[in-house]
Amino acid sequence: MGSLFRSETMCLAQLFLQSGTAYECLSALGEKGLVQFRDLNQNVSSFQRKFVGEVKRCEELERILAYLVQEITRADIPLPEGDASPPAPPLKQVLEMQEQLQKLEVELREVTKNKEKLRKNLLELIEYTHMLRVTRTFVKRNVEFEPTYEEFPALENDSLLDYSSMQRLGAKLGFVSGLISQGKVEAFEKMLWRVCKGYTILTYAELDEPLEDPETGEVIKWYVFLISFWGEQIGYKVKKICDCYHCHIYPYPNTAEERREIQEGLNTRIQDLYTVLHKTEDYLRQVLCKAAESVYSRVIQVKKMKAIYHMLNMCSFDVTNKCLIAEVWCPEADLHALRCALEEGSRESGATIPSFMNIIPTKETPPTLIRTNKFTEGFQNIVDAYGVGSYREVNPALFTIVTFPFLFAVMFGDFGHGFVMFLFALLLVLNENHPRLSQSQEIMRMFFNGRYILLLMGLFSVYTGLIYNDCFSKSVNLFGSGWNVSAMYGAAHAPSERKKMVLWNDSVVRHNRVLQLDPSIPGVFRGPYPLGIDPIWNLATNRLTFLNSFKMKMSVILGIIHMTFGVILGIFNHLHFRKKFNIYLVSIPELLFMLCIFGHLIFMIVYKWLLYSAETSRVAPSILIEFINMFLFPTSETNGLYPGQEHVQRLLLVVTALSVPVLFLGKPLFLLWLHNGRSCFGVSRSGYTLVRKDSEEEVSLLGSQDIEEGNHQMEDGCREVTCEEFNFGEILMTQVIHSIEYCLGCISNTASYLRLWALSLAHAQLSDVLWAMLMRVGLRVDTTYGVLLLLPVIALFAVLTIFILLIMEGLSAFLHAIRLHWIDIKNSCGGTQGMFRRPKVPNDKNKSN
Amino acid sequence: MLEGAELYFNVDHGYLEGLVRGCKAGLLTERDYVNLVQCETLEDLKIHLQTTDYGNFLANQTNPLTVSKIDTEMRKKLCSEFEYFRNHSLEPLSTFFTYMTCSYMIDNVILLMNGALQKKSVKEILVKCHPLGRFTEMEAVNIAETPSDLFNAVLIETPLAPFFQDCMSENILDELNIELLRNKLYKSYLEAFYKFCKNHGDVTAEIMCPILEFEADRRAFIITLNSFGTELSKEERETLFPTCGKLHPEGLRLLAQAEDFEQMKRVAEHYGVYKPLFEAVGDGSGGKTLEDVFYEHEVQMNVLAFNRQFHYGVFYAYTKLKEQEMRNIVWIAECISQRHRTKINNYIPIL
Repeated sequence: MGSLFRSETMCLAQLFLQSGTAYECLSALGEKGLVQFRDLNQNVSSFQRKFVGEVKRCEELERILAYLVQEITRADIPLPEGDASPPAPPLKQVLEMQEQLQKLEVELREVTKNKEKLRKNLLELIEYTHMLRVTRTFVKRNVEFEPTYEEFPALENDSLLDYSSMQRLGAKLGFVSGLISQGKVEAFEKMLWRVCKGYTILTYAELDEPLEDPETGEVIKWYVFLISFWGEQIGYKVKKICDCYHCHIYPYPNTAEERREIQEGLNTRIQDLYTVLHKTEDYLRQVLCKAAESVYSRVIQVKKMKAIYHMLNMCSFDVTNKCLIAEVWCPEADLHALRCALEEGSRESGATIPSFMNIIPTKETPPTLIRTNKFTEGFQNIVDAYGVGSYREVNPALFTIVTFPFLFAVMFGDFGHGFVMFLFALLLVLNENHPRLSQSQEIMRMFFNGRYILLLMGLFSVYTGLIYNDCFSKSVNLFGSGWNVSAMYGAAHAPSERKKMVLWNDSVVRHNRVLQLDPSIPGVFRGPYPLGIDPIWNLATNRLTFLNSFKMKMSVILGIIHMTFGVILGIFNHLHFRKKFNIYLVSIPELLFMLCIFGHLIFMIVYKWLLYSAETSRVAPSILIEFINMFLFPTSETNGLYPGQEHVQRLLLVVTALSVPVLFLGKPLFLLWLHNGRSCFGVSRSGYTLVRKDSEEEVSLLGSQDIEEGNHQMEDGCREVTCEEFNFGEILMTQVIHSIEYCLGCISNTASYLRLWALSLAHAQLSDVLWAMLMRVGLRVDTTYGVLLLLPVIALFAVLTIFILLIMEGLSAFLHAIRLHWIDIKNSCGGTQGMFRRPKVPNDKNKSN
Repeated sequence: MLEGAELYFNVDHGYLEGLVRGCKAGLLTERDYVNLVQCETLEDLKIHLQTTDYGNFLANQTNPLTVSKIDTEMRKKLCSEFEYFRNHSLEPLSTFFTYMTCSYMIDNVILLMNGALQKKSVKEILVKCHPLGRFTEMEAVNIAETPSDLFNAVLIETPLAPFFQDCMSENILDELNIELLRNKLYKSYLEAFYKFCKNHGDVTAEIMCPILEFEADRRAFIITLNSFGTELSKEERETLFPTCGKLHPEGLRLLAQAEDFEQMKRVAEHYGVYKPLFEAVGDGSGGKTLEDVFYEHEVQMNVLAFNRQFHYGVFYAYTKLKEQEMRNIVWIAECISQRHRTKINNYIPIL
């Protein structure tokens, strides 16, 4: 837990890596994921760094591997994905690996090229057969032309695909036939007509089956066309146009005999090609299968290798050029492991001089490292979404583990829904080692990653559901209601008492639509229900009024406690960073401001609950009016909650009013005073030097961190604070903005917490509506058909419950809980300082993926 | 007059405008150029370009890397961006885009015709065509022998058709005629585009008209410069000048009479915009060429176009800037590959 409360202590270490062993050492470090490297060559552009050649080689390997993977997936061979992540390959193997891969690539390219060629050939032949088949019907239609063809000398078909043969035709009538893709037919016809001015006849018909385009590999619809034309000039143009529209032109046979011959020839060739193609594909598959075995681990290895060289690029060279110097951030707890890793790396490479490390003192603020486990990870992620806390700051994630599900549950309070959610989360948690879950789709993975949050949210919802006594909008009567209806009838009471009370008799019960139970009558209210809200309220017509009043007050109380808690966390921060003056000048005025106004409100609420009973409730003053009067000082006398209330309120107001100027001016004036008169009393002086040191550290960190990372403004602001010229205006400005934000925030955030009530109300009402519209209708039908009807009704009810109430409402409550935590976390992190700074979390950067 | 544009612009074109502004932010900066110039080999150039918005657009290219490969890939990238804009555009922005592609289409048509004249195969030339100006009928261009043929047979259904009205003639297409055809086409294209922008009104007119005016005047200057010492008659020369520029009409008449660079410069001196440009031209060795000066001025205008909102000019400006950037990269790459480092700094910086 300690590590979750604050981030780990880090130290800056300098690694001296012997140039021969640097690669192995980094590989060993990377496997453990211990350190974060600092870039020591920031001014050197990426292509001038030392290991750029190696990085290039890795990229080349990556390119080959990507090609392999692409081919393998195209061939539908499953990629074996081993769980193991192999270490980066030793340098000796790299060359070997590169050679292997290059050879494989060359071979593969060759084979695929051949295959493509064969395929293209095959497709063309198939197209040709289709064309022949279709054009035959054209010819049959135009029988009158038949004699004309025979006048021409027969084509010598030395090459099947030679469509230039047409040019050799000395005759006037010529034919061009081929295939054109569907989309182009119309434009093609138009242009043909325009260019040839009608000296052509175009016949076309659609092919019934779509064919693959040999060029692009797309499967599209084709048209077969036949153009008959007069004259050589026109023929030349027709050919040009065909080229332009990317038609596939095939020689047109002039006689039926010839056609048959060609057809037969084509058939045998297609047969041959099929067999050859099959053989090639088999061979290709073999090659790919062999490659697929190792490709996954190779990809990881190359990635690791590339990462190592990237890290090496960040190191600087020693003057003697014999070793590389790297600067790393490492958690203090892991220093031993770091030394071990270095030794291991040196031993592996068999170097004579071991690599060693050196801890160097630094004034820079280290990056934040918060170790999480699978349970705390989700909560930490929620907190990190607001911004990563600065080094050694209190980490609100620890408290979020409880407060987040609780606030969620307040909004989502329903025993049944909570239980369903709990079961779902439990299912995920119990099966968390199932491989399909961790590799599931995006939405499912979101649920999976938040499974522990869901689990707690479900549990807490069960709890609040019990408190609200809501189970699918119905109440559960576990202990028996505390209200007794029979006591409302006169018989139970002594005659002397009866006169004062409004009791029920037959006529009252018969004629009134609404009956009121009066708790002041003895015996009617027999004490509170042991857990949560009395189930009898579920029947009452004024249930909403009652619940609203209860939930509204509850949300204000919870909200103020939550906000106060945030400020108190801020105090922990100030204590840790030894900025005591911040406690006196910022945190305490803040607390006073909040508690004097809203603390008093809470006090009034609780006081009213305790003091007024059923008998005296009619004279109880309204808290709202009292609260407003606190600020308005009404002239007319009001009877307050307790004697002397007016004076207490005045006093509280005075304290509030006093804390505001302190909040606004206290810190800047104090800092100014420190700056001007250093030679004051000793106690604060020691504090001051510490303060100075702290802030100086911060500044140097801000200066050195990559400028792109953070907010320029803040950086500038901080730097000026501690630069020799003390910028009073700047500090004052910051503090004033912070104070205004806080004071306004107190009011608006309190209002904001009312969403607890609003969402809880919305949830209860929605589930109530769902019950009334579906289940009540289903249950009302008479017994014979009711059973049949009830089944679909229950199914619908379940589906709607899951989608609307669980998923939709749950999501909205989740988002609102996130919003409420933002208030808390903002308070705890002491306002502007370092809140949204983004330190690099030391991470297994070196590791792949 | 302005309300319309400001109120409704974003309904139809807001997404694209945001997109194009984002793309503009990805243009190479001064710093990038400084780094690029330092590169020793094309591989270095590739590595540096990888760190910019170009990403690993060269990753799939096999070695060795050549300048033309880089050029084609860059063009492809620009083209895919442009296609995206175009596919998502609504009227009248899509017409605007069509107008933008027209200039590339004219270039492509002329290129193909020149190729046909020199008996080169269509495939060979197709590679050189700008992908933005690609259209299906393009490959059939060399069927035509006269401009009217060309119009009737090939281009009648393309967006280029309206520009042909002035250049229908039965001349045989030889080299000079093709050049004349190009200039005439360009003239009517620019005038039509200018008219379109003018009619559109609003900020678009305010931004685009000066850019197009400059474009027209630049053409006039360049035509004049290129016609010195050729058989082109002065009357014919005047018919080639686009008339939508600032030079129209007096300047153009004077230009038509000009006989050498000095006279041209004197014409330019009458115009406040062009005077400084001609003064910036260095004489002979070392100085900037007129072309470079014009390019710089164009870049400036295009960058300024981004200062206004709710107009189409940003798309035009972005494409032009990107083109200039590509020219710069190609220039630097050429200098690197030919080891001609002395001139490497002659690229046009994009502000």
